[in-house]
Amino acid sequence: MSDVEYSVKQFILKEFLPGEDPSELTSSTPLITGGILDSLATMKLVMFLEDSYGVKFEAHEVDPDHLDTVADIARLVAAKKG
Amino acid sequence: MTTSTAAAAATPRAEPAVPRGGIGTAALVAILVQLGLVGLVLRQFQIESAAFRRLFLLVFCGFALHALLPVRYRLPFFLLLSLAGVGLVLGPENAAWLVIIGIALIGICHLPIAYLLRVSLLVVAGGVLAAQRANWIASPWSEAIWPILGSMFMFRLIVYMYDLRHETEPVSPWRSLSYFFMLPNVCFPLFPVVDYKAFRRNYFDQDAFETYQTGVDWIARGILHLLFYRLVYYHFTLAPSEVHNVGDLLQYLVSNFLLYLRVSGLFHLVVGMLYLFGFRLPETHHLYLLASSFTDFWRRINIYWKDFMLKIFYYPAYFQLKRLGATTALILATLFVFTMTWFLHAYQWFWLRGTGLLVSQDVLFWTILGVLVVVNALHESRHGRDRTLGKRSSSWRSRLALSARTLGTFVVICILWSFWTAQSVSEWLSLWTGLGVGFSMKAVVAAIVLLGVMVIPLIAGPTMATVKKPADRRKLWRSLVATALLLLVMAGMGMDPVYSKLGATIETTMQSLRSGHLSRLDNANLERGYYENLLHVDRFNSQLWEVYMKRPTKLLDVETGPLKQYTGGFEQYELKPSFVYSNHGTSITINRWGMRDKDYERVPPPGAYRMAMLGPSSVMGWGVSDGETFEALLEDRLNREASSGNRRSYEILNFGVPGYEPPQELFNFEKALGFAPNAVIYVATGRESYRAARYVADAAREGRPIPYDFLRQAAEKAGVVRGMDEAAAEKRLAPYQKEILSGIYARIASESRQRGIVPVYVFLPQVREGLWQEETPEALQAAEGAGFVVIDLSAVYQGRPLASVRVSEYDDHPNRLGHQLVAERLYQSFKAKADAIFRDASNADRAAK
Repeated sequence: MSDVEYSVKQFILKEFLPGEDPSELTSSTPLITGGILDSLATMKLVMFLEDSYGVKFEAHEVDPDHLDTVADIARLVAAKKG
Repeated sequence: MTTSTAAAAATPRAEPAVPRGGIGTAALVAILVQLGLVGLVLRQFQIESAAFRRLFLLVFCGFALHALLPVRYRLPFFLLLSLAGVGLVLGPENAAWLVIIGIALIGICHLPIAYLLRVSLLVVAGGVLAAQRANWIASPWSEAIWPILGSMFMFRLIVYMYDLRHETEPVSPWRSLSYFFMLPNVCFPLFPVVDYKAFRRNYFDQDAFETYQTGVDWIARGILHLLFYRLVYYHFTLAPSEVHNVGDLLQYLVSNFLLYLRVSGLFHLVVGMLYLFGFRLPETHHLYLLASSFTDFWRRINIYWKDFMLKIFYYPAYFQLKRLGATTALILATLFVFTMTWFLHAYQWFWLRGTGLLVSQDVLFWTILGVLVVVNALHESRHGRDRTLGKRSSSWRSRLALSARTLGTFVVICILWSFWTAQSVSEWLSLWTGLGVGFSMKAVVAAIVLLGVMVIPLIAGPTMATVKKPADRRKLWRSLVATALLLLVMAGMGMDPVYSKLGATIETTMQSLRSGHLSRLDNANLERGYYENLLHVDRFNSQLWEVYMKRPTKLLDVETGPLKQYTGGFEQYELKPSFVYSNHGTSITINRWGMRDKDYERVPPPGAYRMAMLGPSSVMGWGVSDGETFEALLEDRLNREASSGNRRSYEILNFGVPGYEPPQELFNFEKALGFAPNAVIYVATGRESYRAARYVADAAREGRPIPYDFLRQAAEKAGVVRGMDEAAAEKRLAPYQKEILSGIYARIASESRQRGIVPVYVFLPQVREGLWQEETPEALQAAEGAGFVVIDLSAVYQGRPLASVRVSEYDDHPNRLGHQLVAERLYQSFKAKADAIFRDASNADRAAK
């Protein structure tokens, strides 16, 4: 698990799934299509990623194609960081 | 690297190079058997239109072939099947127009010019089509294609262009064309806004058997929703004027909201069918009756709409506004979404119906819901909401809180919904006034629904199930057996020999569920709506809405336009003398006296037996040509075949006026007296006392003078005054319905007798299903009591499908065959009662009286 993946996972567990067994959240758990990330949570996550990694997101990237799993998110952040 | 290229590089989950799609023989047979059961249930319960049931046959055969094809041929096959469906439902000419327009629009999306130019061209093309839709510019195609063309392109073009702008993968023409013409759409003008990326992303992305089985599960679930909808629609809905006590109010609120089951049922049916072709789309609704907050409700009901609004409006607005701070961005973006939701409903209405929609309740409803969602969202952004990755234990205290929140949300939504669907704000306010204490059995059922909303969260805990684990084979087969059993039960329950053994109540209920027709309330609205503004039609969740949608606007122009003239009297209007209309071989000729009939002299010729026939549009002959009305046919037959002594001729004068209610017939009767009839034939067509009271209520609250003492006194006794709300006035006059109708009948009968005129009463059934006949025994009794010679034609259409005797799907008047049947039966009845009907004083005597 990469650093980005780890920190995204910790953020999601802390912000949106307090009290949840951490092992339940894997790199491939569907977040948007699974109902964990609604519009509010997604925007919170985007803000977190922008602040933490100095990257900028665009509105059309906020969808299950790009942000549905921890692995997807980490891949997008890595691509943005170049 | 720019963000776009970064995204391109990071495109996380491209489609599998070779999508999976294989299925074993046993699994395929199991799916086909279930689909066979679905077909049986659709037929047993006459689900949706006949066109849909034909389309389902195409889906069934298409699925069997599609599942066996190599995966690379499946998308082109699906497109061909979709186009075949369009042809099957719309006919070759209309289908060709629809496909040509559609391809032109899709072509514009892909022109090799700048993106903004393409968008501008689409706006121009949309503007031209809108002008045609509004009939400002003539179109060479039938009006029938508009709702379908609208539902295919009005939202999907927006999504498609949005995704094209950011598309990183090559576009497949098969996929693009399939996206717009997708198979079940041609039968469903109310179609979910399918997201293009979701349509592309999840195509055969998991085990085909699991995908197909989910499709069948959802189709079965959709049918169940539709049957529950029918139960509510036919048996539980009330008019605002029928809400007299707290129980009625509860029944009204709950049943009114549950009418939404139709939309959720249809969406399940639609998406279930798409699953059969490998499109594994998200759920369209998720336990929306169990939402525990307004944000939760917004997330669970019509999920595709919510996703569309987030993608096109919310996120772009949020990103633009986030420099103002997260809270401000959230508030403004959410309010923007609700404003656009209101606007897009009006936009949708325009494409489907061809008219504008600006109703105060719409604005207020979306404003209130928007504010509630903003408040809820702010609360959630600070305090979070309950989520879980699986089943998590929760305390009784938290479950109680969840239960209370769920009940509270349900009640508020029911109230808001009643406001949205009310015909006016004042009508909605009348619901809450003058409520007595009382609780009918139906209100108890509504209370049980509330109880369920309260108890389920207590048992189930957090209801927003989140992540679904992939089903294993054993679970899949279990789900298959459960769905097959459900379908079997539904098919069995729909069989006459089964439900007829379950007692009279169940038999009657099942019979009502076995056909799609308008409820008694919508029938009343439909009758009334002929002469009213279309905006009063219940919006977005009503079958009545669809009836209006199918009705050609030109027909309405004739109905409401030059055919009648306003008189300013109690009767309000009459047929315009000497009006002539001709269209597509149908002619309507009004004579110089304002009758849809031949030109008669005011004084009958010597030896003629003259009858004046009073009644509404079915007597006037709406939907058939001159000379084809049962009045004209009966007159011809009497003159041709009757051999009653010394009579030389028979005349029947048609005083039928579309939309006339019983009180207006008093005016018509007086007019008829001026033509010295030997007999007056009053034709009644159902719900007489309700319609009579409603007309008096309208006259009183609108301050129109009521020239008949007994009617005026009834309004005064009931306390109906000028300016009173419609529902409140009807509610007050409800106890006087019988008195009003009996008074009308008594006046016509006694004044006829005094003049030596024979009063004849004919009961003519309506050409539609429903509960319109519920007042018939009372009306017949009242007519008999008043002294009419009564002829009951209730069974005149018996043994014939209604579709064979009515004008069309959108017009419930008897057609030519219907009129022929009525004329034949009337002739026989007249012969049987000749002694009572054909006796008279001389014309001269009657004229003197």
